[in-house]
Amino acid sequence: MTTRTARRARGPYLRAARYLVLFLFGCLFLLPVYALLVTSLKDPASVSVVTMWELPGKLSMDSFRAVWPKLQNGFVNSLILAIPASIISSILGAANGFVLAKWRFPGADFVFPVILFGMFIPYQAILIPMFRVIASMGLNRDLSGLILVHIIYGLPITTLIFRSYFASISEELIEAAKVDGAGMLRTFFFVALPIAPPAFAVAMIWQFTSAWNDFLFGIVLTRTEYWPITVALNNIAGAQTVPFNEAMASALLACVPTVLVYVLLGRFFMRGLMAGALKG
Amino acid sequence: MGEAVGIRLERITKRFRGGVVAVNEVDLEVRPGEFMVLVGPSGCGKSTLLRMVAGLESVTDGTIWLGEKDVTEDLPQERDVAMVFQSYALYPRMSVRRNLGFGLRMRGAAKQERERRVAEVADVLGLDHLLDRRPAALSGGQRQRVAMGRAIVREPQAFLMDEPLSNLDAKLRVSMRAQLSLLHQRLGTTTIYVTHDQIEAMTLGQRVAVLRDGVLQQCDTPPRLFRQPVNLFVAAFIGSPSMNFVSATVSRGAVEFAGVRVPVPTGSELATADRRVILGIRPTGFGVASSNGLPTLSVVPEIVEELGDERNVIADVDAPRVDTDATRAAVDAQTADDALLLPAERARFTIRVPGDLPVTVGEPLTLSISPDRLYFFDPDSGTSLS
Amino acid sequence: MSQTVVAGRREERRPAPPPRRRRKWSRRLRSWGPGLLLVAPSLVALAIFVYGFAGWNVRMSVSSWRGLRQPNDFIGLRNYRELFVDETFRNDVRNLVVFTLVFILGSLAIGAFLALLLDKGVRGESVFRSIYLLPMAISFIATGIIWRWLLDSSTGSSTAGINKLFVYIGLDWLRSDWHKTPNMWAIAFIALPAAWSLSGYVMALFLAGLRGIPEELREAARVDGATESKVYWHVVRPLMLPVLMSAVVILTHISLKTFDLLYAIAPLDARTETPALYMWYTSFRGGFFARGAAIATLLFVAVALVIVPYIWYSVRSERRR
Repeated sequence: MTTRTARRARGPYLRAARYLVLFLFGCLFLLPVYALLVTSLKDPASVSVVTMWELPGKLSMDSFRAVWPKLQNGFVNSLILAIPASIISSILGAANGFVLAKWRFPGADFVFPVILFGMFIPYQAILIPMFRVIASMGLNRDLSGLILVHIIYGLPITTLIFRSYFASISEELIEAAKVDGAGMLRTFFFVALPIAPPAFAVAMIWQFTSAWNDFLFGIVLTRTEYWPITVALNNIAGAQTVPFNEAMASALLACVPTVLVYVLLGRFFMRGLMAGALKG
Repeated sequence: MGEAVGIRLERITKRFRGGVVAVNEVDLEVRPGEFMVLVGPSGCGKSTLLRMVAGLESVTDGTIWLGEKDVTEDLPQERDVAMVFQSYALYPRMSVRRNLGFGLRMRGAAKQERERRVAEVADVLGLDHLLDRRPAALSGGQRQRVAMGRAIVREPQAFLMDEPLSNLDAKLRVSMRAQLSLLHQRLGTTTIYVTHDQIEAMTLGQRVAVLRDGVLQQCDTPPRLFRQPVNLFVAAFIGSPSMNFVSATVSRGAVEFAGVRVPVPTGSELATADRRVILGIRPTGFGVASSNGLPTLSVVPEIVEELGDERNVIADVDAPRVDTDATRAAVDAQTADDALLLPAERARFTIRVPGDLPVTVGEPLTLSISPDRLYFFDPDSGTSLS
Repeated sequence: MSQTVVAGRREERRPAPPPRRRRKWSRRLRSWGPGLLLVAPSLVALAIFVYGFAGWNVRMSVSSWRGLRQPNDFIGLRNYRELFVDETFRNDVRNLVVFTLVFILGSLAIGAFLALLLDKGVRGESVFRSIYLLPMAISFIATGIIWRWLLDSSTGSSTAGINKLFVYIGLDWLRSDWHKTPNMWAIAFIALPAAWSLSGYVMALFLAGLRGIPEELREAARVDGATESKVYWHVVRPLMLPVLMSAVVILTHISLKTFDLLYAIAPLDARTETPALYMWYTSFRGGFFARGAAIATLLFVAVALVIVPYIWYSVRSERRR
């Protein structure tokens, strides 16, 4: 057992070592980002896999210019998909979360885990029937099928987020509203919704990211001109014979919205993350 | 507003899942315009009973009448009662103005009417300058007044109050009690008020209902509760400091304990009895020994509490201590720090004496006991024998 | 014994109320009915899209659906039996097991390590955290595309990617063929981008868990004379078991589901195929929908085995709280 003085003497060294290791890992984590940035900004002629790690001689936006027309459609499609899907599934999640937290019905405690499982189910297990149904209803002729699917599969996580958020409302507050004459809907509007904006932020950000980053549903449930960006990206950059700079540039463009959201609104992203581990 | 209505509870029972009977066949009638207090130790069912009147708990058995209407199965929204919660439960995102007006808004009152009534109530309660603030920006006392105002504005048929003063500090509580009384005089609305503090109950209630373990013990005016407790629990619960108890025997027309014989009150049925009893004497039931012929009791003071005009003298008495469920339940409720460090056999008396009486710890003090200040209880059932 | 004063009002007639039992049930419905109605659409939607479709998928897996012909027949467990002797499928399952193990161990190690470093608090902690969590904001497709180039396995003068980095810092003996390795460890290397993506999540989980331990417990141990490492071993470690379980469960189910990443890095490469990929090829490229459904059902069961106890345990401990 070291004496306290010995430990104190080691203190600043340990701390410096910790910073160093954290910094090192930070660099390791950012290596791919570095490669991505550096390659996208290089002059296309000078790009080669072998010189991946070298800084660009001169900066050039040519790679982006080459790639954007091919990605543009997918980008717009993803926007049309992600924004309504996140809004609608958040609203529905708020209603569900409120009822499950504060206006329980018999069996509510059984219904909740049943809903929750929908969050973990592997998409493969429902993919074929899903495809059949969406195709037969003609919803795969545009984005409506995909939007519908993302709304529904987003319900478990948004319900979870709002349920844990609304659980913090005191029972007495709900009772006061009841005695004052408010039924379920009016209690929802006047008592729950006014405090809900942070939860909405969490739910919408998480759902937006989820919908934007999805690939499997995107490729199964849409046709060419309605492909979301993940599919467009894979088509451009997934082929084996694609120019390296275009692959990187398109990957970067595809990531911009979610990374932007993450950087600006990261703490809401974190809360969604924790909620999804059932630790919210 | 219209005339006040009465509330009637007929054989109200509440059984929770798991078998716990929180309220057991309570019959209670609150007269129109009356201020009725429900009091008892924690867990006695008083809050549950109140919540059943509000509609927040379902009724297992029995009927609740609000005036002429059977409201037993009505939802809270469908009843015309207003409730004041212990934690106030003010809507956190609404201004005081909107908090006050919320109930009226839910019941469809016109905007003008709402504004008029809110202004009126704010004026009465001194909340005018706070109308645009949010609850978080208010002090505890102010929040309490807003909670009251929210109930008053609705002009309901009844007020239900669940320990509304418990969260206030002592001085504020006393001044709010007076305010409540004045308000009740002015408004005349039928009120049921729940508290665990028997002093609050005695000062506020026109009638007080004492509950224990879901069973109504006694419902009477404060003086009658004080002077004619119907059983050991009520006698021990009401009154502060609480009544002194000692095990004694009655024979040949007198009760004997600690070497003292006191004649039984004239005309009492105990005059011819020969039995064990539990004897109760209030701290204020002793007199100073003088030559008036009353039996005397000599005690050695252990602790003297100075109260200014009066003193509490605490002394051991050479008689068996009374320790029953009833006395323990009643005492638990009043103070939490009743750790008894004494040997269990001897009773400990609290005696209230005038402040100018010379009392010294360790020096014997002689007290007189008058027969009509005695209370007698059956040792097994606890019922009053007086 | 109760004393109540009964006012003489019994003579007044009251209107006969409806029978109590009916009113009691109507009251119950009125109290929670609206809530049920509000969640009903979601419940119905999930019942169909999650449980209905999962069930239908199972039903498909016991039929002989192939291509455009969709017979409604019932062939029992033949598809499953065929899978169990299918060499590709067995290979895929082996790959999945290897991938899962390496992925989970790697993510746990890195995530826990980072969490321990950050536990005591450092300046700029939020910056570090943001960096480690950044990969979670990026889609698996983009991750796969980026890492495909990083894990380039060219040799000699065409060395590139991470191998080139090794050359730069003088560690060329670390050079690897990555996922092109001609043995069964190829897929283990794909755990690298996967761990890159998910380590931040593990770190966040562990950090939340570490910070949830009341400081008093650690202080009591220190006062009792324990060194910092002993505090971690004897006080912190036992309390982290639930967090560890959560992390393992979540990582496992993600690993079983992983499709995008593999599809982007190494599509059509049998060496690194998993059941998830196989299901895709069988169904949507080969048209063997019934077999695809069978693979999907097996995946479903595997995930359920891990997730259902986890949900049950979480919900139950929440109720106890």
